[in-house]
Amino acid sequence: MTAPPATTEEMKTTLLSARDLTKKFGGLAAVKDVSFDLGQGVIKAIIGPNGAGKTTLYDLLTGIYEPDAGSVIFSEKDIIGLSPHEITSLGIARTFQTIQLFPNMTVIENVMVGLHHRTGSGMLKAAFKLPGERREETWIMREASRYLDIVGLEMQSKSLAGALPFGQQRMLEVARALATNPTIILLDEPASGLNVYETRELGEIIYRIRDMGVTVILVEHDMGLVMRISDEVLVLDYGEILAEGTPAEVRNDPKVIEAYLGTELD
Amino acid sequence: MAEKSKAETRKEEGLGSRFLALVVRNKILLILAFFIAIMPVWADPISKPLGIDLVYVMRLVGVFTIVAVGLNLLMGYAGQISLGHGAFFGVGAYTSALLTVKAGFPVWFALILSIVVAAIVGLLVAPILRLKGHYLAMATLGLGIIAFVFFRELVWLTNGNDGVRGIPELALPGLNITTRKGEYFFVWILALLVLILCGNIVRSRQGRAIKALHHSEVAAEAMGINVSWHKIKIFMFSAALGGLAGGVFAHLQGYIDPGSFSIMLSIELVTMVVVGGMESIWGAVAGAGVILFIPEIIEALPKWLGDVPRWVERYSLYEGILFGLILILTMIFMPSGITKGLSDMTRFRRSPFVNPFRKKGVE
Repeated sequence: MTAPPATTEEMKTTLLSARDLTKKFGGLAAVKDVSFDLGQGVIKAIIGPNGAGKTTLYDLLTGIYEPDAGSVIFSEKDIIGLSPHEITSLGIARTFQTIQLFPNMTVIENVMVGLHHRTGSGMLKAAFKLPGERREETWIMREASRYLDIVGLEMQSKSLAGALPFGQQRMLEVARALATNPTIILLDEPASGLNVYETRELGEIIYRIRDMGVTVILVEHDMGLVMRISDEVLVLDYGEILAEGTPAEVRNDPKVIEAYLGTELD
Repeated sequence: MAEKSKAETRKEEGLGSRFLALVVRNKILLILAFFIAIMPVWADPISKPLGIDLVYVMRLVGVFTIVAVGLNLLMGYAGQISLGHGAFFGVGAYTSALLTVKAGFPVWFALILSIVVAAIVGLLVAPILRLKGHYLAMATLGLGIIAFVFFRELVWLTNGNDGVRGIPELALPGLNITTRKGEYFFVWILALLVLILCGNIVRSRQGRAIKALHHSEVAAEAMGINVSWHKIKIFMFSAALGGLAGGVFAHLQGYIDPGSFSIMLSIELVTMVVVGGMESIWGAVAGAGVILFIPEIIEALPKWLGDVPRWVERYSLYEGILFGLILILTMIFMPSGITKGLSDMTRFRRSPFVNPFRKKGVE
């Protein structure tokens, strides 16, 4: 068994560090002074009650929103102010809480879209089907099927994405995000709507992603999954960090227990 | 996509079967090309009794196919509505007409410039692509109206309502295309080429990118797609095809005036795309065919039926109502257009029409 790599002190290099991130909507701070570091190869969960600012934090990290204050250093530069597609090209991929697949495209085409920024054929090359473009298309096909394999959707590659059952749609979102070849993948409630078996399968897939060398951030309400697979847990409440640490530390933190109104975290 | 993996296994097989596969994959294109090629043979003898000059109308169908397929890339695939595409058609027509008549450019060169100028105009107005949905529709509608006013009021350049006369006939270097059939073949070779190129684009990385941003801009961005740049690119491409079609149109007609490029033209173009089928390359041909043949058929009615009521004869007065009606009926009964309706019929053996009154039960 491989020990969770992040708990030790000689932890890997810091991949991403967020400092004092603040985002206000109207007068309300959705995210306030949030700072954290993300070490390479860890699985970090972000939890907190509904409205705690988890998805807003994702939107700040991926460039959908620009924060009112703070910085995010990733691969040695501040990525605040970059547009989402630039951040994706730098190596931060994400999935969405409300599924955002391309429903009228086939399963494999959805993943092929994820390979967009790793390829470069332009309109003219495509229009005239030049040899370079054909070679690239073959590569895209091969890569896309590889990512479908990882999440176990290779059999459905030609179905329309919108026709997949809910659980498989979530998996397809993960495959599509992986296809962008990220260093960090942000999963937004990947287990919501999944049944027990699918959730267990998801846990396996997240381990597989980690073993591919991709660092995982996970926003999730399923505490069973969070406590079982994550190396670090960050608890947000009203946009602020309430606690941070290993699952065991967080579980026994009185402030956390209070925020969850006495619910046992297991 | 399915073909790709099959193509790999097919490598070991003979050249013959690979050729056969190519034929099967491009069957619609081949059928259309065959139909176009033999049409003048049988069309001329029946044109007279029919009262419709088939080759003449088909020539225009070819021209409008070029602009409709471009508009379909923009509206059907990328989901960006343009109610003002007649503007680019007009820009192309005036560019080619004025360059040949006033500046004495050769026709082929003027045609190329009409593509370039339309694309540049497309780029200049591209900031309106920041708008979404109804707002974009309104802005492009305004664009069409503004273009029409320019054509009419820039008298020193366009001659205003007098129009541009004496536009030379189509010509390639060393080849003057003067006969009706020559024009017909020129137009359709161009149109088929455009259809092939657009078909390639929609099946490529670029095509996937525009389909993706149609469904979810935020997800497309998250996939590393520069959404605004892709919108601009496809808008320019679509404008360029409008310019090309407009240029060819000017040389076919020999005379243009602002009236041909009013907002009515833009609405006809949208009708072609919707009737033919959104997200369908071949829909452009079907849509252009239907929209251009309907007026011809109505005009030929007296010849077929003898006496017709006066209101049928004077149908051009309410042409707009007719196209509006076609658009409405298509949206109700065949919302995915002729090509999708027909392909559903052959593939799933079901009616191409949708019953809008059917109750939608929970399955």
